[in-house]
Amino acid sequence: MNILETKGLYHDFNKLEVLFDINLEVKQGERHAIIGPNGAGKTTLFNVITGTYAPSRGTILFKGEEVTGCKPHQMVRRGMGRSFQITSTFNRLTTFQNIRMGVLSNRGIRFNLFCKVDKMHDVTRETDEFLKRVNLHNERHLPASALSYGKHRCLEISMALATDPDVVMLDEPTAGMSKDETRYAIELIRQLTEGKTAVIIEHDMDVVFSLADRITVLHLGSILASGPPDEIRKNKAVRDAYLGEMEG
Amino acid sequence: MKKRVKGIVWGVILVVLLLYPWLFGIYFTNVFVTFAIFALFAVSYNLLLGYTGLFSFGHAMFFGAGGYATALALTHIKGCPLLVALLFGFLGAVALALLLSPIVARLAHSAFAMLHLAFSMLLYTLALKLRGITGGEDGIGGFPIPPFHIPGVVSVDMTDPLNFYYFAMAVLGGSLWIAWFLTKTPFGQIIVSVRDNAKRVDYLGFKVPHTKAIIYALSCGFAGIAGSIYAMFQDLISASALGIAQSFAPIVMTMVGGVIAFSGPIWGAGIFALIEELTTRYTERVQLVEGLILIIVILFFPGGFVHLLAVVKGKWLEFMRGKGSGLITGTWFGKKSRKKTTEGNA
Amino acid sequence: MRHAGPEALFYEEDKQMDATTAMYVAQGIHGLAYGMVLFLVASGLTLIFGMMGILNVAHTAFFMLAAYFCYQIVAWTGNFWLALLVAPIATAVVGVLVERFLLRRIHALGLLFELTLTIGVMFGIMEGVKVFWGTENLPLAVPALLEGLVNIGGMEYPIYRLFIIGLSLVVLGFLAFILYKTRLGMVVRAAVADADMVNALGINVPRLFMFVFGVGTWLAGMAGVTIAPILTVFPGLADQMGMDAFIVVIVGGFGSLGGALLVALISGLLSSYGVQFVSQLAPVLMFIFMAIVLAIKPTGLFGEREG
Repeated sequence: MNILETKGLYHDFNKLEVLFDINLEVKQGERHAIIGPNGAGKTTLFNVITGTYAPSRGTILFKGEEVTGCKPHQMVRRGMGRSFQITSTFNRLTTFQNIRMGVLSNRGIRFNLFCKVDKMHDVTRETDEFLKRVNLHNERHLPASALSYGKHRCLEISMALATDPDVVMLDEPTAGMSKDETRYAIELIRQLTEGKTAVIIEHDMDVVFSLADRITVLHLGSILASGPPDEIRKNKAVRDAYLGEMEG
Repeated sequence: MKKRVKGIVWGVILVVLLLYPWLFGIYFTNVFVTFAIFALFAVSYNLLLGYTGLFSFGHAMFFGAGGYATALALTHIKGCPLLVALLFGFLGAVALALLLSPIVARLAHSAFAMLHLAFSMLLYTLALKLRGITGGEDGIGGFPIPPFHIPGVVSVDMTDPLNFYYFAMAVLGGSLWIAWFLTKTPFGQIIVSVRDNAKRVDYLGFKVPHTKAIIYALSCGFAGIAGSIYAMFQDLISASALGIAQSFAPIVMTMVGGVIAFSGPIWGAGIFALIEELTTRYTERVQLVEGLILIIVILFFPGGFVHLLAVVKGKWLEFMRGKGSGLITGTWFGKKSRKKTTEGNA
Repeated sequence: MRHAGPEALFYEEDKQMDATTAMYVAQGIHGLAYGMVLFLVASGLTLIFGMMGILNVAHTAFFMLAAYFCYQIVAWTGNFWLALLVAPIATAVVGVLVERFLLRRIHALGLLFELTLTIGVMFGIMEGVKVFWGTENLPLAVPALLEGLVNIGGMEYPIYRLFIIGLSLVVLGFLAFILYKTRLGMVVRAAVADADMVNALGINVPRLFMFVFGVGTWLAGMAGVTIAPILTVFPGLADQMGMDAFIVVIVGGFGSLGGALLVALISGLLSSYGVQFVSQLAPVLMFIFMAIVLAIKPTGLFGEREG
């Protein structure tokens, strides 16, 4: 079953067209990578799907329902999570507080003006457990800005998952990471996305081939190819667009 | 052990507050009431600035709106009870906030600040011009101050400064407590998250514009309460309560006291009250002293008096590594104004 | 003789019409003069904001400081022209010192702290002048050369006001020349658009900031000196001009000189004619105008910065 689907998706910025006839299909439970050269439109596609922009044309289906034009917070409430290419956390809040925001949202605790949040013990417990899972428990009292780059990036990824979404959209999760950090991040993503669906934009082919069940290649705003990793590896058009980046 | 110390300290403070008029006399009692009014006003401002990251250059209009609403209620409604007048003050300010809320909701920093300046100046000018309603330059004064009246139980005369002191302390202290409690709730977490990264808050499933509207209304409501007590305290409200100088007051009080903590603006209001009292004996140039102190504070203790206290207590390093970190450096409206660019380019 | 414009009426209509026209023209000149001075103040403010992102609350205090400097120099030397030259420069020096030793130190803290510091500087200057010069109005005479009226084509124009307009245009021209015809100006315009980029190109941005702050303050100083004989020198000078200058910058658009010029002239004319026709509402008009513009276009009429 396709948990996420786009049909005839087009998008332009003030007549500058960036996405053409995107028909993406993401199956439930799979890890789907989106790759392509810079400027191909990957982040824009994410922005359209997660609701930052309403597409100029086309429809988006999430869990079988049409969600075209939904705003980001609506998409999140429907079960989608998103991480950003440039780390976007609450820098003055602690790691604990950052994750807790996701937990609060997931529990529907939003406009609560009547209880002390620190006294909400089940929220605290859930946040702590999550922090342990992502190995950030030791840093729970550090402000996010004090984290090392690698850990900060992991926090970024974790926040996308803190709302316990069914589909998580990760935009270049390993951007700027060292080889070791990347290996660690791959494992983390693998573990955290067990039983969930993940759509991952990546440039690092190691990540792509170790994680992805299926790959969609974007080039100049259109889908060049889509399928299992082996198929993509052998696809001539993809090789031409990428020239050797596919090795390994 | 720490909890006990805290309890004792608060106990002492409470006792001092209760006995204050007898300890310090009527003159200083009135000084204290003024301090408390501005403490609430400044705290209400910090709810926007320090907690939500919204900088307004016109917060006085809510203070003034509360004052005028109360004054008008007491002038025109025969036998208006004390608490009803107070309620009018609160609602007047909230109404104004709700009116402006849709206009200011999605503005960027400078525009938000400036639009508030524009509206506050507009209201100031209207207050001066509409003599029929607002009494123009003279303002509205001499309205009856009703007693605190519970039918059949008690009736306390509020024109007695002693009684008014206790009433003001109850109202202002209560409001401060509510504001403090607010910052400790989940909603309090949302607003500081909005301050740090509104986009992320959106992407976690919260409605950012609604959040801003609520804290905006509450903050302005608190300012209105402060203004209401002010009007009753002086038995007078005039356009100066809405003026630009009044809008500067909470800004400087918050910054001097410390924008990084809830208690900061309270310290700031206290420091300024102290400066006023001490300086007026020697010179008329009170604002010069205030200006110099402001410059010194910003240069050496940007986190304000709270920052200074933390350094003195030797806890600054710990503070900087903990919840204080990043509160000072870099990110306060740190992004230099840029021309709009399109998002993302992958 | 064939004339276009008001002069023509002088020959053809009766005395009644002349007085009215003369009044309109006079008010127009007054309005334009005020508008040009307003523009001088606003241009400095908008340059500083455009480049450094700082809303210099102390800007109008500098404006007032220059008027006081002017008064003092005239009191010492009796020479207005010397004051016209020296006072703005002295004010600019103060501005540069403030930037170098105060603002620059807290630059890393962000705009909130820079703005608060300028509030402190404003208080300091506004009260400081009272310490040195007292609180009364200090009269400053229009230099003899520029007193009175001049007869151009049958209409009488106040010389000093024309001088103000003329001087402002010269300053404006000078500014435009530097900004658009010199390399330095190009760097300044680039930094106004994107200071980080300019920094990345290896240009000494702190020194540039200092320079622009100095120039901006100098402009305010020029305005202060030229308007001093008209408004007299008193501590409330900053307030009076201050609001108007900020409105001009905000409505015209942060960082936009053209916008500042347009709105300044409109504002000057509006206040001049406005007092005539809608006196009750005159002060409110500008605020309503500002509120409307900001509500529709938050960056101002010609501004492009998202603050």
